[in-house]
Amino acid sequence: MKDRQLAWRNLWRNRKRTLITAASVFFAIFFALIMRSFQLGTYDKMYSDVIRSYSGYLQLQHPSYLDEPGLDNGLILDPELTRKLEQDPNVEAVVPRIESFALAAAGNRTQGVMVIGVEPERESKALNIRNRIVRYKLTPGAVEALKGEELPGRLAKNTELFAGEAFTEAEDLMSVLGISKKDSAGLLPLLRNHTSFPGSYLSAGESGYAIIGNGLSDYLEAVPGDTIVLIGQGYHGTSAAGLYVVKGVVSMPNPEIDNRFVCLTLDDARWLYGAPDMATSAIIAIKDGSDKVLTATQQRLGAVTGEDLAVRNWKEMNALLLNQMEADNRSGAIMIGILYLVIAFGVFGTVLMMMAERRREFGMLVSIGMRKGRLAGIVGLEMLLMGVIGVIAGVIASLPIVFLGHLRPLRFTGEMARMYEDYGFEPVMPMLLPDTYYLWQVVVVLLILAVAIAFSIRKIFKLNVINALRA
Amino acid sequence: MNVVEINDVYKTYHDTEVEVRAVNGVTLSFTKGDFAVIVGPSGSGKTTLLNLIGGLDQPTTGEIIVAGHRLSELKPSELIDFRMEHVGFVFQSYNLIPVLTAAENVGFIMSLQKWPKEKRMARTGELLEAVGLADRHNSRPSQLSGGQQQRVAVARALAPRPEFILADEPTANLDSKSAETLLDIMEKLNREEEMTFIFSTHDARVMKRARRVITLEDGKVVSDERTNHRE
Ligand SMILES: Nc1ncnc2c1ncn2[C@@H]1O[C@H](COP(=O)(O)OP(=O)(O)O)[C@@H](O)[C@H]1O
Ligand SMILES: [Mg+2]
Repeated sequence: MKDRQLAWRNLWRNRKRTLITAASVFFAIFFALIMRSFQLGTYDKMYSDVIRSYSGYLQLQHPSYLDEPGLDNGLILDPELTRKLEQDPNVEAVVPRIESFALAAAGNRTQGVMVIGVEPERESKALNIRNRIVRYKLTPGAVEALKGEELPGRLAKNTELFAGEAFTEAEDLMSVLGISKKDSAGLLPLLRNHTSFPGSYLSAGESGYAIIGNGLSDYLEAVPGDTIVLIGQGYHGTSAAGLYVVKGVVSMPNPEIDNRFVCLTLDDARWLYGAPDMATSAIIAIKDGSDKVLTATQQRLGAVTGEDLAVRNWKEMNALLLNQMEADNRSGAIMIGILYLVIAFGVFGTVLMMMAERRREFGMLVSIGMRKGRLAGIVGLEMLLMGVIGVIAGVIASLPIVFLGHLRPLRFTGEMARMYEDYGFEPVMPMLLPDTYYLWQVVVVLLILAVAIAFSIRKIFKLNVINALRA
Repeated sequence: MNVVEINDVYKTYHDTEVEVRAVNGVTLSFTKGDFAVIVGPSGSGKTTLLNLIGGLDQPTTGEIIVAGHRLSELKPSELIDFRMEHVGFVFQSYNLIPVLTAAENVGFIMSLQKWPKEKRMARTGELLEAVGLADRHNSRPSQLSGGQQQRVAVARALAPRPEFILADEPTANLDSKSAETLLDIMEKLNREEEMTFIFSTHDARVMKRARRVITLEDGKVVSDERTNHRE
């Protein structure tokens, strides 16, 4: 009889206890992974949203711009420098932009907005504003019209549930409404007919047009074709004012940006703020934005620009968001800590019970000549097997959920969605695909297990055979 | 030839506030082929004495020599190996490993001793036959009666041919018929394998079957008689 056979048989002699122990490890790892995946997925999405819709990975700025943003700390981009920066292997383009504040008015409504001036063609190398143009929208009119169409039950309910939402692709619209690929062919023309939304992106060379965020469009009740007024303060205290025709509406992922977003061509923005040739910053579009490569790129570019200009990465530019996420991350870690604590107590409980129940048996085994080390090995192996079964089952069970949650993120509606938006988050919870966080959860559980194993091994080595037999 | 020599052995417990002299100056020896029983009322020191002989515990003073080994000179881990190699144990109850079959239990110490598989299997078969359980090779302990379990325990203790077998009240949990059967088997093995048996009891029926009766009282040997009945 081999030791591992003995351990394996021991596992199944008290089936219930083994199952309870394995199950508690299973649930610990399963819930921890799901929680972690949601959390990290949400952060990941928030970071990539803000990077791809707003800040970019790297920006070229005046050294003081980070602390005191505004045209007064702007820069004039030297074509020679641009050429040098664009020679870096990881740099795709250097795209100047103007970013400033203004008051926007349409009809009798006004709203403080953020005005971005971009070179329409080149901008898309760094950001994807162009791909965010709203083409379909469940406007009140559209929802009314769809009601008259006798849609299948669930679909009719969903159109009301998601009323007001805007989409760039028909596919997104279908997926949110819960229409399967199979049914889409039949329903698409009808949906197109009622929900299409006009508008297009800016083009280079034209003047007097603006793209606005979907939230701002709702608030100002301004749709493509309407005119908005922008009033602000220009370079060196001049006053800035202009009239712009809304050319398109974009759906920005971050509600805070979406409610305040106005985009002009760079030339229009320079004209508005009375700052010809200037930019507040330049986005450096790069190919690989992973942490290590980014840091290296930032260092290389920093050497090229010298001290007159600074190269900032997205973390420096979004310090507030990062802080917010880190605080949230800590509270999440505490939750998981509590979960593990509960599980650790459960595992210890069963271990204690097992040790007490088998005391006589251990005494007998050592009496007839089994070395304590060997006995400890068998018992340790039993516990390891129990734990590993739980860990493997937990990891496997989490995978389909995590993959599904990644491909089709959970989307909140109604009250919950409003709450999320009030906090400045998009009401979407994507899950992060397995990554190092999986490893960490497994390591933590195995550590708890190791402590329990060490505890029982110690107990075996301290076993007094005589007392164990008398028990 | 002496298998066990006990010289002026004392064992004192200080666990409670009062000092208990569980074994109080015992000098005894056992020879090969003995079929000896230690009797005495509960608390007279039978278990303690057997534990000392078997190397499960060390005397407070005095010397125990088993098959040439001075037990007081052995370290704890050496004592475990000593027990595995030289002593067969049968306890009052809970002798067997619950997850092993009867045959695997009988083979257990032989496999600790690393006997080759064929020899081990042959010996296991021979002994299960001898204890009347030839048809129960694959039964788990929970599928055997108390008497059958004790017979498997005797077979396991005997299998690797130890110097002697120590059995502490082996019949205490058995009905009288099973007790008789167990004693018949022990007697037979004592004869056929020339195995030395040292066991304890406070059961008069068991006492009558022994060829040597040692009586303990308060940790002292008060009589040591050899009888010559039944052979
Ligand atoms: N481990 C121990 N700790 C303290 N006292 C013990 C211990 N083992 C036995 N004793 C005491 O030693 C005396 C003899 O016990 P024991 O050898 O078990 O007697 P028996 O087996 O004849 O009933 C009893 O008074 C008992 O309480
Ligand atoms: Mg006793």
